[in-house]
Amino acid sequence: MTDHLAQSAAAPPAAIPQSDGSLSCPHCGAEVAAQEAFCEACGGALTPTAAVPAGAPDTMAPPIEITRSIKTEDEDTVVVARPCANCGGVIGADGYCETCGTKAPTERDHYTEHPASWVAACCDRGVRHHRNEDATAVAAEPNLGSRAVLVVCDGVSTSLDSDVASLAAARVARDVLVAHRPAGLGTPASRLAAIAGAIVKAASAANAAVIDNTAHDSENAASCTFAAAVVEADLVVFGNVGDSRVYWLPDHGSGGDATELSVDDSVAQARIEMGTPREEAESGPQAHAITKWLGRDSPDFTPRTGSISVRPPGWVLVCSDGLWNYASEATELQSLVAELSAQSPDPLTLAVALVDWAKGRGGKDNISVALARL
Amino acid sequence: MAEFTAEVYQNEFLPEGGTDVNAIVTLTCSGAGSAGQTGSGDAGEIIIVDTSGSMGRTKLEAAKVAAAAAVDQIIDGTWFAIVAGTHQAYLAFPLVRSGRGMVQMDSNARYAAHQAISQFRSDGGTAMGTWLMLAGRLFDSVPGLAQRHAILLTDGENHNETPEQLTNAIHGVTGKFQCDCRGVGVDWQVAEVRRIAQALLGSVDIIPEPDQMSQVFAELMQQSMSRGIADAQLRVWAPQGAQVLFVRQVSPTVEDLTSRRVEINPLTGGYPTGSWGDESRDYHVSVRLAAKAIGQEQLAARVQFAVGDQVVAQGLVKARWSDDEGLTTRINPEVAHYTGQTELAEAIQEGLAAKAAGDDETATKKLGRAVQLAEQTGNEEATTRLRKVVDIEDSETGTVRLKRAVDKVDEMALDTASTKTTRIRG
Repeated sequence: MTDHLAQSAAAPPAAIPQSDGSLSCPHCGAEVAAQEAFCEACGGALTPTAAVPAGAPDTMAPPIEITRSIKTEDEDTVVVARPCANCGGVIGADGYCETCGTKAPTERDHYTEHPASWVAACCDRGVRHHRNEDATAVAAEPNLGSRAVLVVCDGVSTSLDSDVASLAAARVARDVLVAHRPAGLGTPASRLAAIAGAIVKAASAANAAVIDNTAHDSENAASCTFAAAVVEADLVVFGNVGDSRVYWLPDHGSGGDATELSVDDSVAQARIEMGTPREEAESGPQAHAITKWLGRDSPDFTPRTGSISVRPPGWVLVCSDGLWNYASEATELQSLVAELSAQSPDPLTLAVALVDWAKGRGGKDNISVALARL
Repeated sequence: MAEFTAEVYQNEFLPEGGTDVNAIVTLTCSGAGSAGQTGSGDAGEIIIVDTSGSMGRTKLEAAKVAAAAAVDQIIDGTWFAIVAGTHQAYLAFPLVRSGRGMVQMDSNARYAAHQAISQFRSDGGTAMGTWLMLAGRLFDSVPGLAQRHAILLTDGENHNETPEQLTNAIHGVTGKFQCDCRGVGVDWQVAEVRRIAQALLGSVDIIPEPDQMSQVFAELMQQSMSRGIADAQLRVWAPQGAQVLFVRQVSPTVEDLTSRRVEINPLTGGYPTGSWGDESRDYHVSVRLAAKAIGQEQLAARVQFAVGDQVVAQGLVKARWSDDEGLTTRINPEVAHYTGQTELAEAIQEGLAAKAAGDDETATKKLGRAVQLAEQTGNEEATTRLRKVVDIEDSETGTVRLKRAVDKVDEMALDTASTKTTRIRG
């Protein structure tokens, strides 16, 4: 994935002006237009030197960012305009590279969200799984540390609908939490209780969304986990169902301790509570079996909620087990985040870096990372 | 308007390090219309009849009836000609010495053709290459013929030409027309005539008795007239660096197309399939890829059906690397079935060749294997034919004994039908 990063970091070359006033592709020499982002002939990347003419088909649009108002019908749409990530070739209408045959990732396989400068998320298929059944949905107000909502759902069934269901669930939950703004409440305790109540409502709405997106005749009902954090200034209210997690990771030297805020509903957690050391519990048989989830066959989808008053600077991290499988302890994640954000505290850069790090470690599961910088 | 579909049957899952992808692609055409009637160009038919001395009175009279029956099936407007073949080739109809060597069918032409056929006399030798070359020139004399088809009848070996001469003649006309070949009686060589039929995208079969000829000819011509798609091509795209191991037609008959590749572009090969009526044909495509990491997916082949320059249907052959043995060890039933049928055709042909060469041991082994494969793949027709050549002791293990006295017709029928495959059962 470092290749991928390098590619996106380096600006593609601009088209070369010719003596007759036309432009040529720096990769293959074919004639190109000033507004084109990719060469028609070889698919090589170009830096457009002119705006797209009005009314031109929108095929050269930059990668779509799934943030807020993307319709669910757009899922699984193959983005044909981007060149092949493997060889730079042209992606055919069938969704595969016309040169090397590599499957073009769909929007669902990998997407990022960046609703405000201090909040971002990255959701990725990983390496070993054929489909991305994880989902993130985040929202934030523009001002640093004002109000943010982070939601992660991890589709846990192999049924046909889990990828659709988890995304629907995450988005519905986010929308509930964005809309539900307790205001004018007297005491901090009542404010906390109101936000926690909103998280319970959000989980319930997400559960309904999963069921709505499960085919009636599906024998293997779609299901997913749920983890959400609502940040209001230095107050973090969180809740979860299953084994997606919420962490508070203060910057090194700022005083506070890195903390795993959520408590897994999993066999491993049950063992830990019975005294088994964490590492042993998390690698034991059935460790990843979860004891609570959202979905048609869910016995109980009420999230365990909690809250914490944090002392910035630091990161609120909501993630799926695709990340924490490779760094479970809060202190481990704290060091990792410190290392990966050393260059820049940009949450999108860090979210992508964490996903790439997990893929580098094997990427055995789908990976979701949602971050708020406080 | 003709419609085309492509369906792919495969197990796309490969184990770690797996490289070879096999798929059966079923191409189907419906609404093909009639030859020469779809606005894409005229059709041409040539009937080539062996009139060598060996035909004798009985076979020649039957051949006259058969040629006339074929003429009766040719749709009005179709260009046609009749060639009488001995050690030379004669244009029996139309009666012209220059210019266009074919005429368009109408009631007058049909009557005149019947008259010409009735004049056939049995005399001279056999030179099939010369017949084919005359047919090629006749087709070329009519500009703009979109669909060109011939029926060739012979009764004997190609005495008056060397195998090289025949080979050169076949090369000279390959791609110019399609040719269905029929041998009457038992004095002709299956391998020799099969060579012509395979190169010219046609069928080969035996007509055991002269009186069966006219029905066979009428049916062959009907079939040709029902092929409204003049010329279609199978195209196989494989990714850069991949190797197309083979491309075979596996239904209705086994034909290895691998060596017939013509380059469409560096990654795409075209394979001629001739004309199409309303029918389905199955193709087995095998591609070797560079192995990718577990979890990766890529396209192994795009299998396309092209009419003219237009791709009218496409099937995608995929590769997905997985560590789930439940997925990667699954053998696709269609691939397994046709792999068995291909081996069956080879076993029959090799067994009969060994038998002809007096190598009874190899013949017994190969035909035994054929019996076993016919049983496994449910090809009852092949089993019935094999039964006439060998005594089956145990079809499961392929234990057989060569029959002492075998009717030559049965042996040749087994040979000509060896490439016929059955479709997989539900």
